[in-house]
Amino acid sequence: MPVERFIIRGDLAAATFLPWVARHLLRLGLRGETQRSDALCVEMLVEGPADLIDAMEMGVSLGPIEAWVETIERLPLNRCGSA
Amino acid sequence: MTDPIRDEWYPVALVSQLGPEGRDTRLLGEPVRVAWHGGAITVTSGGRSLPSQQRYGHVWACPGTPQRPLFDIPEADQPGRRLVDVGLVRVKCSPLRAVENFLDIAHFPFVHTDILGAEPHTEVGRYDVAIREEVDEVWATKVHFYQPQAAKSAAGGITTEYMYRVPAPTVSILYKTCPPRPGEWDVITLFVQPLDEELCEVWPWMALFDDDTPMTDLIHFQQTIFLQDRSILENQLPHRLPLDPGLEIPTRADLTSVAYRRWLKRRGYTYGAQLVAA
Repeated sequence: MPVERFIIRGDLAAATFLPWVARHLLRLGLRGETQRSDALCVEMLVEGPADLIDAMEMGVSLGPIEAWVETIERLPLNRCGSA
Repeated sequence: MTDPIRDEWYPVALVSQLGPEGRDTRLLGEPVRVAWHGGAITVTSGGRSLPSQQRYGHVWACPGTPQRPLFDIPEADQPGRRLVDVGLVRVKCSPLRAVENFLDIAHFPFVHTDILGAEPHTEVGRYDVAIREEVDEVWATKVHFYQPQAAKSAAGGITTEYMYRVPAPTVSILYKTCPPRPGEWDVITLFVQPLDEELCEVWPWMALFDDDTPMTDLIHFQQTIFLQDRSILENQLPHRLPLDPGLEIPTRADLTSVAYRRWLKRRGYTYGAQLVAA
């Protein structure tokens, strides 16, 4: 199954942001793991079918109303976890 | 502090259909009167005169203080085009839903069957979407879609190229392949008047290269399309346009819609929007 690293940048300080992302992952049936997060950047791994990873990007680009996602950088990973 | 919702321009009447009796209507939930006064058209609300102007066949008004001029459609002044006032369709939906529906390509084969789309040609190919910062507008380009009857002037099916433009929160402009004049674009617009957050009046308007089709047929074609949309729009849930996609799963085919919602969110335009997923 494809795995991608999402590097999400923007105004992400809202407490609702990470729980919202976790819920959207579940809704799409994807697996994900947050590796780093602060008020301006969240890095996470997303695993699942390619079309659903696309849909994850679409959803997160809107996100909860309290957050503003400026960009999402996607890096496909190989099975060993490196880009 | 300015209010991004009140400071926009909105259509409130069709110039050609504004009779001596004037028009009583609503804008953002408030009563508005459009009337002739000594050969000029005025727009008032609660005894206050609103900034107004006539352009693209319509009367435009701003309930607040306009922060920028009315958007430009250069094709409106291009010689040889026919300017078509399509008229009015009232739709019980959020004004933002009406615009978003106009931006959606994927529904063509299912809602406008055998006109703007047909099975099995249902795939929406990849296209480009951008928020053009220099003009503060949403643009979708390189949109290609097979259409059995792309326009009243089209003879048979063609792969149509589209560009979409959103120059104001309740306005969308579609540029599409012009069957009788390759190299030019037909311009089809949707001007939406927000009566309230879940009710709007939609004023389609067109600037076409088509010397042959009777005006009545051009109007009828566009009205047919929009009436097909209306039944969908009035049954969409949630009624307001979600800026948080909690109950919807946008996909890549919805790229224009997602860009439109992001643009609204960034501008603080929330009239007719649902801010938190129910």
